[in-house]
Amino acid sequence: MITFDYIKPSANKAAIDAIMKNQNAMFIAGGTNLVDLMKRGITTPEKLVDINNLPLKGVNKSNNILSIGALTLNSEVAEHETVVKQFPLLSMALKAGASPQIRNMATVGGNMMQRTRCPYFYDTSMPCNKRAPGTGCGALHGYNRMHAIFGMSEQCIAVHPSDMCVALVALDAVVTVSGPKGERKIPFASFHRLPGDHPEKDNTLEKGELITSVEIKENNFSKHAYYLKVRDRASYAFALVSVAAALDIQNNIIHDARLAMGGVAHKPWRLKAAENILKGKPATEASFRLAAQMAMQGAKAFEYNAFKLKLAPNSIIEALTLASKA
Amino acid sequence: MENEFFFNYDTMPDPMDRVDGKMKVTGAAKYASEHPVEDVHYGVLVGSTIARGVIKNIDTKAAERAPGVIGVLTYLNSPKVPGYDAGGNPVKGRTTGQPLRVFYDEVIYFNGQPIALVVADTFERAVHAASLVRTQYDAEKHSTDINANLDKAVYPRGRSNDYTRGNADAYKTAPVKIEAEYIVPVEVHLPMELHSIIAKWDAEDKVTVYDKTQGVKSTQRSIMQAFKLPEQNVQVYAPFVGGGFGSALRTWPHEIAALLGAKKTGKPVKLVLGRDQMFTMVGYRPYTIQKFGIGATADGKIIGMSHEAISQTSTYEEFTEGTVNMTRFLYDVPNVFTRYKIIPLDVSTPTWMRGPGEATGSFALESAIDELAYALNMDPLELRLKNYAETDPEKNRPFSSKFLKDAYQLGADKIGWYKRNRQPRSMQENGWLAGYGMSTGTFSASRGNASASARLSADGKLVIQSAVADSGPGTATVMTQIASETVGWPANKITFELGDSSLPPGPTQGGSTTTSTEGSAVHAVSVALQKKLGELAIKASPGFSNAKTEDLVFDNGKVILSTNKTTTVSFTDILKHNSLNQVEVTSDSKSLNDQKYSMYSFSVHFVKVLVNPLTGVVKVNRAVSVADAGRIVNEKTAASQIIGGVTGGIGMALMEEGILDNRYGRWINNNFADYHVPVSADVPDIDSLFVNKPDPIINPMGAKGMGEIALIGFAAAVTNAVYHATGKRIRSLPVTLDKLI
Amino acid sequence: MQPDQQPPCPHEENACDHKHDDRRTFLKKSSFLAAVALTPAPLIKAAEKKADEKIAAYFETVPVNLEINGKQHSLKVEPRTTLLDLLREQLDLTGTKKGCDWGQCGACTVHVNGKRVLSCLSLAVMQDGKKITTIEGLASGEQLHPMQEAFIKYDGFQCGYCTPGQIMSAVACVREGHAHSEDQIREYMSGNICRCGAYRNIVDAISEVNKGGQNI
Repeated sequence: MITFDYIKPSANKAAIDAIMKNQNAMFIAGGTNLVDLMKRGITTPEKLVDINNLPLKGVNKSNNILSIGALTLNSEVAEHETVVKQFPLLSMALKAGASPQIRNMATVGGNMMQRTRCPYFYDTSMPCNKRAPGTGCGALHGYNRMHAIFGMSEQCIAVHPSDMCVALVALDAVVTVSGPKGERKIPFASFHRLPGDHPEKDNTLEKGELITSVEIKENNFSKHAYYLKVRDRASYAFALVSVAAALDIQNNIIHDARLAMGGVAHKPWRLKAAENILKGKPATEASFRLAAQMAMQGAKAFEYNAFKLKLAPNSIIEALTLASKA
Repeated sequence: MENEFFFNYDTMPDPMDRVDGKMKVTGAAKYASEHPVEDVHYGVLVGSTIARGVIKNIDTKAAERAPGVIGVLTYLNSPKVPGYDAGGNPVKGRTTGQPLRVFYDEVIYFNGQPIALVVADTFERAVHAASLVRTQYDAEKHSTDINANLDKAVYPRGRSNDYTRGNADAYKTAPVKIEAEYIVPVEVHLPMELHSIIAKWDAEDKVTVYDKTQGVKSTQRSIMQAFKLPEQNVQVYAPFVGGGFGSALRTWPHEIAALLGAKKTGKPVKLVLGRDQMFTMVGYRPYTIQKFGIGATADGKIIGMSHEAISQTSTYEEFTEGTVNMTRFLYDVPNVFTRYKIIPLDVSTPTWMRGPGEATGSFALESAIDELAYALNMDPLELRLKNYAETDPEKNRPFSSKFLKDAYQLGADKIGWYKRNRQPRSMQENGWLAGYGMSTGTFSASRGNASASARLSADGKLVIQSAVADSGPGTATVMTQIASETVGWPANKITFELGDSSLPPGPTQGGSTTTSTEGSAVHAVSVALQKKLGELAIKASPGFSNAKTEDLVFDNGKVILSTNKTTTVSFTDILKHNSLNQVEVTSDSKSLNDQKYSMYSFSVHFVKVLVNPLTGVVKVNRAVSVADAGRIVNEKTAASQIIGGVTGGIGMALMEEGILDNRYGRWINNNFADYHVPVSADVPDIDSLFVNKPDPIINPMGAKGMGEIALIGFAAAVTNAVYHATGKRIRSLPVTLDKLI
Repeated sequence: MQPDQQPPCPHEENACDHKHDDRRTFLKKSSFLAAVALTPAPLIKAAEKKADEKIAAYFETVPVNLEINGKQHSLKVEPRTTLLDLLREQLDLTGTKKGCDWGQCGACTVHVNGKRVLSCLSLAVMQDGKKITTIEGLASGEQLHPMQEAFIKYDGFQCGYCTPGQIMSAVACVREGHAHSEDQIREYMSGNICRCGAYRNIVDAISEVNKGGQNI
């Protein structure tokens, strides 16, 4: 790891200013991904701005809106009584992520900022357009079992590894960010981006922008929600495919539905067309199959991830079934 | 061997807790890199980024200029290793060819080959400086894909080629036959302790190392040969070893590199491999393709078997293992053919990993048996019993002991084998498909040379010493028990010292032989200590002066005169009467070369799996493993070996697979996030059972080996259960969910 | 200024910025000097390099105050030093283990302000003012912690290398209230890899401590 300067400001503005002053400065919160990336020479900041003293912690609900401070730990959100009872999908997704120790370090903002787990991104001797633009995509014709089936480009077929973000995109969360030009709100679905010609950019944040909170509106999905994470071992592994499924069922008819997938695209993958199919239909396997079929439109596989074309719809059916029975 | 030598278990207390348990649970146990050494510096290895070719230019200037750096070694400036120039095998394992000579020349044999060592005053500085080394190569076309190079398979040098008993093709004309190909991918040992060494030159020709090794004497010998040093000038310490599973059985290039770095810089050098380097520098279980043919009569008598294996090795060294061996003797089959070939590839040399060879071979054999049973519409256990080998059909001689039938019975009863519905895909639980499978494992049992010393002090402390290492099974605990039982001295007054090459020579811990080999030495020295105490009692203790040695009985820390049982003297009083502060004896125990018997341990694994019909996720829901490992010295540590083997077996069956990108010849998943090993949530309740009947031949304890059989066969039990659950036969490990949906 | 006169850096706002900008300027200058000195005798170069390094090292460290196992430590560390390497390499607290260094195995688990975390992904400088408990701080003198006793009783380890991390995680697992069933224990202990495969026994040990209900 290279040496770097370190500061720990206690006001948002000071933190943002510090980033603006140095081209190679970065925020650090939990550090569970950034420290790892720095150790491997993938990210080489000259200055770390430790934001842990900023007033961005806590979970609050008022006016039917749940607001989660960006520095709130993954474990704190997952165990928070309001989240468990009213937003179980988010709690389940968080608990499916990483390990208890990492959830005690990782923050909500940091979870959103985590980078892909593509092995070519992690090995500095291999080509990777995300790490080193212009070097090519090692995964495209390489070992791409973990990789995208939606929204990829020739430049990058990596996936976003977060579980939490899959639940947040399903729940129409809104991200509040503070930056040199002031505050703005970003709908969660627009926070992460597809790789296109700039896979080095994971999200739509601009230089100096700091995530301050995430908000979710109260909803009717607390009764029937399930986060299914399908992976190569039972715990402490990234998703091959994950599904966030939430249903508003009244008299066995699906009144409203939320569906998103992880492990399939460069961003958490919202499935609106499949949600629409479900609306007004009975909560039966036949409906779920229809939704799964709709969800897969436009999917494309590579040499080693063709199984996802079957695993993804099957997982949607399984998740919807479990959500409906929850 | 006479029955009176049998270890008397009736007097044993409940299984003893580990004698080093407190050290391990408090963090006091010191592993290789943790020993305080004054002025220690940090070594970091730089690996090549091509798989084959030569170094054209290696620029170390930036690294040398980096803060804290005191030396950068490459082939251009490294001190010479005298053993390399002698053309011998200075870092020899039991392989043929030339082990990798670190920093010897510009030739690259595999991707990740160590090409430079940076030594700096702090770890952080060494790591950073290592990233500054720039290398240019003349790369050559490499071959790392075994499947693309099958035409290059050769018989290993100096090995008898094929094995044939009866008619090699007999299975082909059998009424019912199975022909199938089975694949075991690369698996990596990945002990939790990263391979580490601290090397310190005490003088120009004298060195001390703290090393992660399963054999302090073998490491000492390797260093002696590499640097042409006498035995007394090479001191190896390994008091605690954080796992190995075979990876620490031989001396590797990084160990020589640390010695060279310390020599070059004049400072002690601590070198800890990165987790990624654990994939390239300390061996792995090789990728193996197996073709199996088996044929039987309609009523299940196996007529013939054919087992061919093709495995991989490096281009500079031949590695071989006993992949096809168990097919020759596990079942009573008249016609058997086996063949074993290897393909040299531009990769690092593989090495023995738990259940070496047999773990791979048993996957093919025990899958084929299961396939045959279903083809015959016969219970797989019944098929095994029908072809049970009462004597060794390969060598035509009796087994020293074989209680495999007992093991089958114990396991089948425990898991409720006969209560299942035998039809594939017939059972369900909560919407998941359920299935049962079983398999058999075996591994040779043996006894090698070992020495031990025993020193009893006047204060009653008994110290037993031997240069053996313990990578986890609990050697010190078991040896303490053997000494306690044999000497008749309380275990809490006994200390077993190990992990130090200056102690009487002990074995390398591998091949399931430690209890047999080392235990025999401890038994021998315990008997010798009693004898010595008897002589001393006759010499100076009241009432014993006219006694003959054969009149002495040793019981519970006392010598008793059998002719007059009221005449007794305690061991410590004997020392007093002789005005001795201590008494010390050393004994050797010789290897057993009994040609009259075949000696093997056996295991049986029963598994229940659940398979999600939509996602293909497989859960091992229950496991019952039974060992015929002779007498069990300590049921607690023995049970831990079984559950450990089963856990490793779950990894082998369901998730472990080292993946190389053949375009670069470089590992893709060289870390714990991408190379999956089981976590707690993958491991169900495991029943570990023991036949616990002594082997009358192998050693005074009657104990056979345990470590390997805990794993051998397990993967096949899982795939057999997956077949029963789903009707899908998976012949390529691991059973990841993509293979089932 | 002598190193020991260095005022403590509160890591506040830009308080340290100035110092670090100094460092960069200095390093730039000193590399210039080093470049000038390239041609003279190697001895001069070596002497300069040594001086460079001492000053560079001084500028590269920042003060950190930690309470480790109840004892206060006032330390100077490089910002890039992890808590794990600080414990193992500078404080000889080697009970905390390095198993991967990348947050993938749990061997380095310690408690920071009562929460279990991975010390390999924690920069020491970021722990300023916090309370750290390592395996060495779990027992009260000779009296082992109940979890340590239970690990011995149930043989919850073989080689012992992952054991400190397992035990620190296990204590937290019970304290968090995540030890109510065997399956819950399995899930909440899945961040600690044991390659010897002692999981079954570890689950038994944790179950017993949890059922014992004592205040751990």
